[in-house]
Amino acid sequence: MTFQDLILKLSTFWASRGCLLQQPLDLEVGAGTSHPETLFRVLGPEHWQVAYVQPSRRPDDGRFGQNPNRLFKHHQFQVILKPSPDEIQQIYLDSLEACGINPRQHDVRFEEDNWESPALGAWGIGWQVMLDGLEITQFTYFQQVGGVNLAPVSVEITYGLERIAMFLQKVDNVFDLEWAPGVKYGEVRLREEVEQSKYAFNQDTGIPADEFAAFHRSQFDANYAFAGRLADAKLLLPALEYALKCSHLFNLLDSSGSIGVTERTAYILRVRQLAVRLCREYAAEAEAAAAAKAELAG
Amino acid sequence: MDRELLIEIGTEELPARWLPGLTAQFGARLEARLSEWRMPSAEPIETFSTPRRLVARAVKIPERQSDFEELVMGPPVSAAVQGDGQLTGAGLGFAKKQGVEPSALERVETPKGIYLAYRRHLRGKATVDVLPDVLAAALRDLQYPKQLRWDAQIEDGRGELLSGRPIRWVLFLYGGRVVPFDITRTASASSPLVQDIRSGAVTFGHRFLTTSGRAGRAIKVKGFDDYRRRLAENFVLVERGERHDRIARELDAEARRRGGRVEVSPAGQDALAEVPDLVEYPAVVSGAFPEEFLQLPAEVLTTTMIHHQHFFPLVTDHGTLMPAFLAVLNMEPEKPETVARNLERVLTARLRDARFFWDADRQQTLEQHRARLATVAFHTGLGSFRDKADRLEPLARWIATDVFGHPEAADHAAAAARLCKADLASNMVRELTELQGAMGGIYARQEGLPEAVWKAIYHHYLPTAVESTGAPSRADLGDAAITWAAVALADKVDTLTGMFVAGERPTGSRDPYGIRRAAQGLVRILADLPELTGVHAAIPIDRLTAKAFEAFAGHAGLADAVAALAVFLGERVASVFEQRGADVRNVRAVMTGQHALVPLTIRRRLDVLPEFTDTAEFKQLAVLFKRVRNIAKQLPEDSFRAIEAGGGALSALTDPAELALRDDIARRAPAIRHAVDAGDGYRRAFGEAAAFGPAVAKFFDDVMVMADDPAVREARLTLLRRLEALILQLADVSEMVPQSDS
Repeated sequence: MTFQDLILKLSTFWASRGCLLQQPLDLEVGAGTSHPETLFRVLGPEHWQVAYVQPSRRPDDGRFGQNPNRLFKHHQFQVILKPSPDEIQQIYLDSLEACGINPRQHDVRFEEDNWESPALGAWGIGWQVMLDGLEITQFTYFQQVGGVNLAPVSVEITYGLERIAMFLQKVDNVFDLEWAPGVKYGEVRLREEVEQSKYAFNQDTGIPADEFAAFHRSQFDANYAFAGRLADAKLLLPALEYALKCSHLFNLLDSSGSIGVTERTAYILRVRQLAVRLCREYAAEAEAAAAAKAELAG
Repeated sequence: MDRELLIEIGTEELPARWLPGLTAQFGARLEARLSEWRMPSAEPIETFSTPRRLVARAVKIPERQSDFEELVMGPPVSAAVQGDGQLTGAGLGFAKKQGVEPSALERVETPKGIYLAYRRHLRGKATVDVLPDVLAAALRDLQYPKQLRWDAQIEDGRGELLSGRPIRWVLFLYGGRVVPFDITRTASASSPLVQDIRSGAVTFGHRFLTTSGRAGRAIKVKGFDDYRRRLAENFVLVERGERHDRIARELDAEARRRGGRVEVSPAGQDALAEVPDLVEYPAVVSGAFPEEFLQLPAEVLTTTMIHHQHFFPLVTDHGTLMPAFLAVLNMEPEKPETVARNLERVLTARLRDARFFWDADRQQTLEQHRARLATVAFHTGLGSFRDKADRLEPLARWIATDVFGHPEAADHAAAAARLCKADLASNMVRELTELQGAMGGIYARQEGLPEAVWKAIYHHYLPTAVESTGAPSRADLGDAAITWAAVALADKVDTLTGMFVAGERPTGSRDPYGIRRAAQGLVRILADLPELTGVHAAIPIDRLTAKAFEAFAGHAGLADAVAALAVFLGERVASVFEQRGADVRNVRAVMTGQHALVPLTIRRRLDVLPEFTDTAEFKQLAVLFKRVRNIAKQLPEDSFRAIEAGGGALSALTDPAELALRDDIARRAPAIRHAVDAGDGYRRAFGEAAAFGPAVAKFFDDVMVMADDPAVREARLTLLRRLEALILQLADVSEMVPQSDS
């Protein structure tokens, strides 16, 4: 099964289970959770089912294309079900079968692994799903997002697409994966990995460290201030985009070694305050909209 | 008639590390609630569990609650009954409130007088009607390390039901019949795919294994024996012990097949502790990894296998690692070799990563890693680990030189302290955090640093156990014993003083910064210092803390921190010795009245004290000493000191008994003082103290302490104060008065 076949199989499976197929957030983010289809939609009472691929950038994991398992950018297949169906574990196992993984021939386990994103004021309880000792999925019952308690509780299922494809294709180097028939993952992405890693760690750029840091700091500050202005205007979706840019800029400052400890904490706190503000306002709007709808119906 | 109660709470996978505690809790809570509801189990409740179920079984529960009698108190007779015996308004009101005729009331005598009362009889309800409340209460009682909200509720008036993981089914049988019980779902989650959970007579087998039909289908059961048999048929072993033994047996057999043996607990990591709680139906497979990885440090290999994959490393008969591992599956796979190949690939990928880190880290010296510690946070109020390392260096040097009296070890101690945190900036420790310390030690060894330095770095997080036999041993430490102790103490005392200055205090079970562990380690090193290092100094804790606090001069929280830390460390010292098995009263006795907290002398006194506490002589002294302390209070401490400083006032003593006591004190004092000054000879000292009994007894029999003549009174009180001060240097013996005599 090629990398793109895997995406198609999962998309078909979840669409058949009532999920809306969304598209990736067209911004630089570290995980599918940052997508408003997750971050905002899990707030408030309205039920929602959605699935999408999210290319996810982790500057710190960049390895210049030399590590067979680690990438600056990898792909997540993200599923959000709100509320979480009773049979969700079984449905998930069925999705593996749809991808050609027969749980009766492997050791599939749900091992405790809770999830937390301090920068998003978010946490949840759940497992990492292990397939013959390989972590292939993060499975989380969201409890809070942006500091807001969630009711109903959403389940987030995040498949690591490269990992699963490597398992299915029995390859030990991600760049050897078959993306499409006759096309290797490395052909599609290797150059991007090399260049993005050099950028993330500010290596071979010829840009002095202080200039690199100063540029990203000023970008952070400008985006941060602008996110606040947009939030003041109640434009929560554009405001979230600027907040996510801040989050990514912070990751770059961190990976390039541009910030110290105290500053690091302060940056995380600033992103968190923004995320909490946006989520609170979105939740309040969602509650009000649901109440209005109930009144109309009643 | 008594009948069997069987409850199974079917859940999604519970965390393995919670399972043993949670299982015990479930049994204990049910037992407590059954007793509270007056239908106690005739025998202890049996409990079982797998990652997907908590099970409790009571062999015999009565069919009805026992009847209940309650005495409802009314008004006092003086206010409720008139002279003619008729009830007053208050009395009639009480009868009416109880819904009975006045004639049904009785009179009850209480310490406050005679009262009107009504004795109400309640007939016990049928057990089956009460059991739902029992289970609801027991589920509410369960305490999880982390609670999950999952849109569930019980209709018991207490709203939302939180639990460790979602509950999927409830098997609830009493006498073979289903007890009705519902967990309902909140309105906001209501949907066709989110349903109430209703109790039933069914359980579920293994997720994937079955002998017939579809795996995971409902299985109807009649009672416990049937339940257990049907589950075994469906690949679930409900007894943890059975899973554990099966795993141990298969590991052993598979290891022998591979020509090695299993290293179950290398370096104190008990690999078998969690595995039985990760599986319902264990089977063992083995695999291999390329021999080239054996060049990695053994610590890296075992940590990767045990912590990250729950694999068991294989070793040869000589204890050296083999390029092979065993793994416990929750499966009996059709093709075990396929699963084994997959496990090998995962492990090899991890080891390849580890080798990358190993190679990359060694491109730089620890000194270079140390430079990057500025970006690793220690605590927001206390800066980075670089700041911490900068504090540790002079502190460790000072401990080696001034505290231990070993200036020749000072340079090595300082060098080790300077580098001990450097591995936190290494790739390996960022990935395998369990290897902090050990990895730094290994890198230091690779760089060719002396044993006194690298071993000090390697072990500086230790000790973590309170027992005197816990790691590290003198043999582990080799030439590094003294430098290790200096660095380990410096690290712990810096953490303690720093965290207290920053306002951190461990509360309840919460201790995110490991403050309690640091205190425990500090106490242990000081208490076992001679055995660990050959240094015989008896070191007061506050000597170390006072020095460490100097680094935080000018901090706002300093004054509070000094006072709070002293109290906290006193508690931790007591706790360490109690955990080591010392009697609580003995601990209190040797710690009361001491001017300084010196773990080594506390330990030495506790070592010999139990030899005396049960002797008749000592018990006599304990009772008398309590009296001594009570009376001696009449002479304030400073007056006593002034009198003693002025050369004493014992010339007013005349009675033979008091003169005898005076002489007894003079005779026995040197041995006691010697023990206290030298820090040993406590056995002889306690022997001398115990022998005071007769003289003190005679003194109290013959002499009236509070004499009318102020000079005589003062002399007698001074004598008692002197005795008190002498014995208090050993222990507050009065703490050991037997309960019945106190």
